[in-house]
Amino acid sequence: MNGMHGLIFAYEEAPGLRELTEVRMPGSVPFGGRYRAIDFMLSNMHNAGITDVGVVLQGNYQSLIDHIGNGKTWDMARKNGGLKLLPPFANERRYRGEAFRGKLEALAGVRSYLSEIRQKYVVLSDSNLIINLPLQQVLDAHLASGADITCVCTESGAFVENATYFTLDETGKVSETRCAPRTASGYRSLEIYLLSRDLLLALVDECAAQEKYSFRSDVLCAMGGKRLTLRGFVWDGFAAQLRTVNEYFERSMELLDGSIRAELFCPARPILAKEDDEAASYIAPETRCTNSLIADGCQIEGTVEGSILFPGVKIGKGSSVKNCILFKNTVVEDGVALKCVIADKNVHIRRGGTLIGHESYPLVVSKNSVV
Amino acid sequence: MKKECIAMLLAGGQGSRLYVLTENMAKPAVPFGGRFRIIDFPLSNCANAGIDTVGVLTQYRPLELNRYIGSGQPWDLDRADGGVHILPPYQSANGASWYKGTANAIFQNIGFVDMYDPDYVLILSGDHIYKMNYAKMLDHHKKNGADCTISVMEVPWEDAPRFGIMNVDGEDTITEFEEKPAKPKSNLASMGIYIFSWKKLRAYLIEDESDETSSNDFGKNIIPRMLKNGEKMAAYRFSGYWKDVGTLDSLWDANMDMLATGSGLDLLERDWPIYGRAGSLPPAYLGRNARVEHSVVARGCTVEGKTENSVLSERCTVEEGASVQYSILMPGAVVKKDARVSYAIIGENAVVGEHAFVGAPPEACRPEDWGITVLGPEAAVVEDYVLAAKRMRSADGKETVR
Repeated sequence: MNGMHGLIFAYEEAPGLRELTEVRMPGSVPFGGRYRAIDFMLSNMHNAGITDVGVVLQGNYQSLIDHIGNGKTWDMARKNGGLKLLPPFANERRYRGEAFRGKLEALAGVRSYLSEIRQKYVVLSDSNLIINLPLQQVLDAHLASGADITCVCTESGAFVENATYFTLDETGKVSETRCAPRTASGYRSLEIYLLSRDLLLALVDECAAQEKYSFRSDVLCAMGGKRLTLRGFVWDGFAAQLRTVNEYFERSMELLDGSIRAELFCPARPILAKEDDEAASYIAPETRCTNSLIADGCQIEGTVEGSILFPGVKIGKGSSVKNCILFKNTVVEDGVALKCVIADKNVHIRRGGTLIGHESYPLVVSKNSVV
Repeated sequence: MKKECIAMLLAGGQGSRLYVLTENMAKPAVPFGGRFRIIDFPLSNCANAGIDTVGVLTQYRPLELNRYIGSGQPWDLDRADGGVHILPPYQSANGASWYKGTANAIFQNIGFVDMYDPDYVLILSGDHIYKMNYAKMLDHHKKNGADCTISVMEVPWEDAPRFGIMNVDGEDTITEFEEKPAKPKSNLASMGIYIFSWKKLRAYLIEDESDETSSNDFGKNIIPRMLKNGEKMAAYRFSGYWKDVGTLDSLWDANMDMLATGSGLDLLERDWPIYGRAGSLPPAYLGRNARVEHSVVARGCTVEGKTENSVLSERCTVEEGASVQYSILMPGAVVKKDARVSYAIIGENAVVGEHAFVGAPPEACRPEDWGITVLGPEAAVVEDYVLAAKRMRSADGKETVR
């Protein structure tokens, strides 16, 4: 089959997300009022006609499995192919309780799955990238350029720790790759890579034999520009990697900007998410609910401003919610004041309570807490 | 495989009293309450009551309905054995005919029902808004050893002449059925929900079909005949919210009831959820100057203007300076800048142009000139245009007064 196969790495921990990843992997962190982070990449793949996707798992993946299910949401519950969850059974390191040291090691662990891939090309991606990326265009560019590996990247912007940076020449060829440098320069990798299945298999086998495990240092840095031609695909749209609570909060709040929503949720390439089966949200008389995203099933009797409400949130009378992100089924009783708070699922804030965080340090309330 | 009870849902009616709203779709496919369509109510009631086999009888403009029901997955009715089945009229060796009446529609599908060999068949309509546990009604039917059980509810006496009224004895056994009686002897109205013991119904359907004078209708023919023959007919009393939304006024009323606390229609309550198929859309965005009060807003909406006492279905837009009051915006409706919508139903993807006026509050007209204003699906009102109270405008620009 001529086309793409998706591989999503959903095992990487993100300690910077603190309480948000106490009970889940970064890929299943709720985002944008009704999505989980991994919905974006799965939808990108679906929108590019990808039917077969493997999700490489390790660690606390219960919540992720729960969310993805059989992949029906992305039309990936198929008779042939479809979505496959790949827990670390095949990898011996799993039994020593150690995390994968790199993507190549994770891939070596699912080597038998890789050899069954029916498509000619493979897209590698992380699970916590929020983007609406036309992957078909990436494939077209890959085919047109004849590169060995196409690397999706973006203007460097502010410095990001432990990121991969590329220098591109005027034709878009990667002339230098820097892993985890101390300063930002050139283009920053979005950790989406496109290459042929045959090349991927060869690299996985070669590196496994030599005890090498890192895709970026052992392949991109070591072989790029020498044995392998790397090309950059520069993406200038919205792309948010969710690594820290601050980053999570800031990037979430950018969704209140209509132009960013128009791009991220463009109707031509919809982001698909598991259905939440809620009625339309009710907003009571004599309330002010402004500059906010409101998912279905909410009941709002208080004031809401500059906030993102997930499905089934209840805001009581006389309460004020400002610059907050409230996950599914958060209950805010009457007379509560919240500012710069991220409340995880099923949080219950009792009558009269006050919780104030700061834009630069939002307060996170763990799942199921009663305050 | 044998099923104890299956449901047959009559969804073939045109719903002509919904006028422009049903020009291109059957009544059960009409949107309701911001997130649902009318048919979601009986389908969800079946799913919640554990009835896993439902035949949906379609005839008038079925495309929208067929697409909406699909595999039945939103109602958990995509089953390996049973599930939801769409049943249009079909051709047989003796020719073909449309469904002549409600009873004839079931008669033509005796073969479908027989496949599941049920003891009981539940007959439902696709034009009622209510939450009801059919399992309790079935228990009542079995406990009474009835041949037919009809769900009834008490209506105000003054309204009784508008309904099919059941007269019952002390044990709620039906003694007489009167269609729209001028002088009602009881205020128990039929809700159009029946459970029959299948063997009995099967025989009556065959007998009714051979009667050329019959209009092949449950209310007009089957029920009266069963009563006359002394079959055991039980009334099952239902208390709770129930409304026939077959007219523009009742459709508007039911939507407003949903907004009102205490009406008994609470769609946010989770003990008896209503399911529906919805587009994959981001949450609603309420803008910096938005004023949304006593309204429901569904996913995918963008509201920059003012909305009061209204229902905004998915993908609706209310632009800055626009105001919407006491109105129902169906999916994808757009109200442009500074337009005013009042006491109106705006159909799917209809557009109200800038500065246009659609509808009017009752206090602004003489009582005889007032009524709900309707903009049909895909219809448009250009900028500065006034679509007065009681008027209806369809997609081809045709305007009528109700």
